[in-house]
Amino acid sequence: MAIHSYTLTTLWHDRQRFLPGVLAVAFSAVLINLQTGLLLGLFSTTSIPIDHSEADIWMSAPGVLSVDLGRPISQANLSRMASYAAAESPETLLLDYSYWLKPDGSKELCIVIGSQLLGRPLGAVRELTLEMRGRLSEPGAIVVDEAELGRLGITAVGDRAKIGDQRVRIVGLVHGLKSLTGPYVFCSLETARLLLPGSFDQATYLLARCRKPEIAFNVVESLRGHSDMSAFTKEEFSRRTRIHWLTQTNAGISTAFTAALALLVGAVVTSQSLYAAVAASMREYAVLRALGIPRGRIIAMVLALSFWVGIVGIVLALPTTFGLSHVAEVMGTRMLLPHWLLGSVMLVTMAMAVLSGLAALRSLRLTEPASLLR
Amino acid sequence: MKRSKPILQGVHLARAFGEGDKKTLALRDVSIRLEPGQVGLLMGPSGSGKSTLLAVLSGLLKPDNGSVVALGEDLWAMSERERERFRLLHCGFTFQGYNLFPALTARQQLELVLTLGEGVTAGRARRRAEEILAVLDLTDKGHLRPNQLSGGEKQRVAVGRALMKSPTFCFADEPTSALDWTNGQQVVKLLETAAHQDGAVVLIVSHDARLIPFADRVFHLEDGRMTTQKQIRKSDSSDLSLSARKLQRTRNDEPELAELPI
Repeated sequence: MAIHSYTLTTLWHDRQRFLPGVLAVAFSAVLINLQTGLLLGLFSTTSIPIDHSEADIWMSAPGVLSVDLGRPISQANLSRMASYAAAESPETLLLDYSYWLKPDGSKELCIVIGSQLLGRPLGAVRELTLEMRGRLSEPGAIVVDEAELGRLGITAVGDRAKIGDQRVRIVGLVHGLKSLTGPYVFCSLETARLLLPGSFDQATYLLARCRKPEIAFNVVESLRGHSDMSAFTKEEFSRRTRIHWLTQTNAGISTAFTAALALLVGAVVTSQSLYAAVAASMREYAVLRALGIPRGRIIAMVLALSFWVGIVGIVLALPTTFGLSHVAEVMGTRMLLPHWLLGSVMLVTMAMAVLSGLAALRSLRLTEPASLLR
Repeated sequence: MKRSKPILQGVHLARAFGEGDKKTLALRDVSIRLEPGQVGLLMGPSGSGKSTLLAVLSGLLKPDNGSVVALGEDLWAMSERERERFRLLHCGFTFQGYNLFPALTARQQLELVLTLGEGVTAGRARRRAEEILAVLDLTDKGHLRPNQLSGGEKQRVAVGRALMKSPTFCFADEPTSALDWTNGQQVVKLLETAAHQDGAVVLIVSHDARLIPFADRVFHLEDGRMTTQKQIRKSDSSDLSLSARKLQRTRNDEPELAELPI
């Protein structure tokens, strides 16, 4: 305890000396949090059709890598799904890319999602209100995200456009469902059949609900015995979709690279800052060594310094991260900061600070007590 | 005169620095002995080997030749860890310059020696620091940092740090060199008290001849050799109390010195 008390006193007294180290830790933590948070936010939009629906089980053509890459699967497979008592209310979902024809004649890629609308539909995103679903039952009626209006070249509910060669009409707007690729276009199954190619006995996904979501895993395990299809739980398919995007785009690698760079810069600045602080008190440490204080305890003093530099850096980093994340949200950029991310970044930056302390120990090698007598 | 058993003894000590043409012999066959409760004063010109002798006797610098026996143990036959432990238990040091941690208060500088070194509780370390601050006449300045203390006060804190654990040996390198005589006297009196009241062996390296009256033995080094060892005649003062002896010294401007065989 005494060591920590002296350390905090030293940290406060020499705050100008330690400031670069503290800021370097904070900078590293904020940068990694924001970079990863942005990446998670960005790629979370790729799995919106899964995460915002009520389906617990997703059945697809074999080997589908991402929800937007589904291929036709026979609706006859619904009977397979129905053979499991735990898989309730099986239904179909159509999902595929198409071209949106803007009023000015240019084209935009979009993702058409056609689902059942009555009762408690599994495939319809929860943002579609009962009233919207009622309006969507009209042929050619669609709903899009408000943030996509500009990209789609339209301005408000009631506007018309074309998808492929079919006319569509905006009957409602949702929020928070902006897509990374083409804008999501939500509609009924019937409208989707008009907008997307494919035969009437086929769907892109077959969905089911489980009364207890934890049973979904067992059902999916059984369904995997069939080679002509794939089955996933909601969580599996969502993760699979995000990982596919993460690896396909190399964004994960570039983020990891940036994080490593941030850690390296942080480590160099922190260790230099600690090194200078230890070197400045070299003669004092040498006196302690002469007095017989074991080297281990002096090392503990230096490591306690690096520990507290890390703690103060992280304490500064957390509100900064949340503040900047709020600014990003206000500006319409989705950022996810799950607890595991914040916890991991804290651990990594603390490890960086303590390792920097270890690097600063090299200045202690110079603390030869006999040198005080020359 | 019956000699008491030495508590610190260096025999045939030799130490060189550098190699080849640049080799310098800092100590050439030096022997020295000090008894409990004695203040030894090591004098000599710059480069005479005083500080090297202090470093060798205190277990900080290994001699090329000779041995150092302290409390009956050969310091340089010990392992590094054992020697470190010996210093922790028995040795106090003050070096040139104050070497105080800039961030810590005078009280914390003192406490640190016990809390870091011997695992003493914070409460006990604090009580001991208060005692030492009282001895240093710095009770009301325990909360001040080095940059708020005068040079004399800083040196007193440095001496206090050396005395915190009531050491058997106290080694002081030029403890008064940066001080005026009033402050210098205060500092050297603290060391003298440690020897005469607490029975410590105090060895002071200094250029300052004004310290001679405070010493029980004076050693002169020149070019790495011990040229003279003198003992202040204490035959007529050995039974006197400390205050009486001090009084006697103030009456005599020059102390009486007796030359001893080298």
